[in-house]
Amino acid sequence: MLFNSIDFAIFLPIIFILYWFVTNNNLKSQNLLIVISSYIFYGWWDWRFLSLILFSTIVDYLIGINLSKKEKKKKRKILLWTSILVNLGFLGFFKYYNFFLDNFITAFSFFGTPIDVQGLNIILPVGISFYTFQTLSYTIDIYKRKLEPTKDFIAFTAFVSFFPQLVAGPIERATNLLPQFYKKRTFDYDKAVDGMRQILWGLFKKIVIADNCSQYANIIFNNSSEYSGSTLVLGAVFFTFQIYGDFSGYSDIAIGTSRLFGFNLKQNFAFPYFSRDIAEFWRRWHISLSTWFRDYLYIPLGGSRGGTWNKIRNVFIIFLVSGFWHGANWTFIIWGALNALFFLPIFITNNNRNNLDVVAKGKFLPTIKEFLLMLFTFGLTVFAWIFFRADNIVHAINYISEIFSNTLFTYPKYDQDDSKRSILILLFIFIIIEWYGREQQFAIANLGLKWIWPIRLAMYFAILFAIFWFGGQEQQFIYFQF
Amino acid sequence: MRRFVIKSLLILSTVILLMIIADYYISEKLKDTHNAPGEIEVWNDIYNKNIDADIAIYGSSRAWVHISPKIIEDSLNLKAYNFGIDGHNFWLQYLRNKEYLKYNKAPKVIILSVDVFSFAKRKDLYELNQFKPYMLWNGDINKFTSSYDGFNFEDYYLPLIRYYGSMRGSGSVIKPSSNESLYRNKGYKGMERKWNNDLAKAKLEKKYFSINIDSDTVSLFNQFLLECKSNEITVILVYTPEYIDGQNFVKNREKIIKIYNDFSNKYDLLFLDYSDDNLCMQKEYFYNASHLNKKGSEIFTSKLAQDLKARTHNNVYKK
Repeated sequence: MLFNSIDFAIFLPIIFILYWFVTNNNLKSQNLLIVISSYIFYGWWDWRFLSLILFSTIVDYLIGINLSKKEKKKKRKILLWTSILVNLGFLGFFKYYNFFLDNFITAFSFFGTPIDVQGLNIILPVGISFYTFQTLSYTIDIYKRKLEPTKDFIAFTAFVSFFPQLVAGPIERATNLLPQFYKKRTFDYDKAVDGMRQILWGLFKKIVIADNCSQYANIIFNNSSEYSGSTLVLGAVFFTFQIYGDFSGYSDIAIGTSRLFGFNLKQNFAFPYFSRDIAEFWRRWHISLSTWFRDYLYIPLGGSRGGTWNKIRNVFIIFLVSGFWHGANWTFIIWGALNALFFLPIFITNNNRNNLDVVAKGKFLPTIKEFLLMLFTFGLTVFAWIFFRADNIVHAINYISEIFSNTLFTYPKYDQDDSKRSILILLFIFIIIEWYGREQQFAIANLGLKWIWPIRLAMYFAILFAIFWFGGQEQQFIYFQF
Repeated sequence: MRRFVIKSLLILSTVILLMIIADYYISEKLKDTHNAPGEIEVWNDIYNKNIDADIAIYGSSRAWVHISPKIIEDSLNLKAYNFGIDGHNFWLQYLRNKEYLKYNKAPKVIILSVDVFSFAKRKDLYELNQFKPYMLWNGDINKFTSSYDGFNFEDYYLPLIRYYGSMRGSGSVIKPSSNESLYRNKGYKGMERKWNNDLAKAKLEKKYFSINIDSDTVSLFNQFLLECKSNEITVILVYTPEYIDGQNFVKNREKIIKIYNDFSNKYDLLFLDYSDDNLCMQKEYFYNASHLNKKGSEIFTSKLAQDLKARTHNNVYKK
């Protein structure tokens, strides 16, 4: 079920009413309702893959309980690796099987031993990368004795399958989300209203910004050889906003929806395009994944301890794995490697924690230096996104070489109707709103709160109107494929 | 909680109210468009109860561009209207008939233009915008269009949803009404076009073409004839001219024409088949294998009118 669908618009109020009016006196019933609604939500896409989630849930539930009972390190390790192998096994099979097979075939052919093996026609289960990482964090935290296992199977199932964040995150840690299933939830008016505002803004980001940018990004990327260098730059910028609007929009809807049910999810995006360096960008982009890799991969590898070569190795590993997590394609790996290259200079020179606070905090405008730093960082990310979006590496290289042709400084042409102007105006308005809301959890969290209610209401209706007026071009969320 | 629910309901009510108003406004604007192929003009005439016809002409685009109501009127001294619907087979021709009879006085005679495609059923809802201004809570449009790839359930029942995503770049809906002239004249449009290469292209792609006969559409056709009989409406089946090369291109053409002959015999209907008419041999009267140009359609309509005149007796047309 898509957040931006009529199905969800009907589904959400029904679950909300049942949750607060029918099951409100019983925590177990509320959790059970969440499980049932989450399975309906997921099954709406393909019910067959519910078995995968259920299997992962049962395995990690049992391993969690057993981990707490075992004291011997060896036995605990076996249990941990069982969980890791089961979860990553599913992920590897569904997501990477054909990739590895294709590369083996290519490699064998390269060395003069062609092999003829047919790939499998595998459907990638939606959200498998997200819920796999979420359940893995549970067993790893129990193994590290950071978390007590739960004996409440319903609560655990609800934690694994919680519908707002099941298919595209934020990837929640058991330490944050699971305890919320143990406590009685009471309805909080302010929280719910805030949740509604966040949902509205998420829909705007997805439907107005991402879907409209995608229209042009797709045209330009799919026919890149036909366009001038300046148009290709614009295409990459469109994709940069598309992926941000798409993914952060989804996160906003997920977080807002969770708040309606009394849950607090972690902030997943903190205005990453206003970052002054690439380290800041990675502290603000897909925070739940970055911190997951930090805690469960980077730190176990040694983190920033040890010699320079160890540091460089760890940085490369985390960025390459992060790239590979996004998809079974070399383009994602190159995207990760590029980000590692951008990150390394400031990391090695110990400048990676210079910009921890929000840019121009409490100020109306940034300084010229801050502005130029933001522009430079934005330029780096746009460049890296070209690899992320391209069909393959050759396409990305051709795209970049076309950019740096003699047509780079010509007037960009990419559309024959008037709608190109409207998307640029929309992007401009969007950036302004995001800038003025950058100190909040989401851009419109505080916008208009001090205005008189008719004007505030008019603003919400204007956003709704924009969603309707500019909507409908594209429906799918990009991160569903990861 | 109460406060939240009440406020949510108030906002939701306002949203729904605004949706209804916007729906009405956009639908009215859309009704005022006269773009090709002018289907909306015909629907407007139907729903505004503007049709007062003794002779109704039904069919696909082959009815729409082949039979001029004006020539029929002048020859037979009876009022006529052309209901030909572009790109659609009998399934949606029947919907148009149903809506026409629901809101207007029934005709005495229906000239039903049949062809090799009448019993076929396409998957896509061609020119689906024509239904948008009228389809909200319209059970008949729902019943006859929902089997196509076009609209979802909510499009038929929730205001404005069917316009979602279709407005971007089409600011015309909020611009003042245009003073464009009508595209069709009593549902008819003579096409001033020259022969194109459609048939040559089709022949390059396929050796011959075979039509899939949809049994549900055949049943509906039968039901339609029964309804006309019970309502004392005379039905005349007409196979309008088709360019000879195009006729040879359709493999099961004879089989389809036999179905029309069988219906003609079963219900004692006049079936005028112009497949062997001289017009079919003259390319200059066609713009493609199945469509006459304006000149061809005028010659044909005159011929049809004469044939009808010759067979009329107290306005009753029989075999």
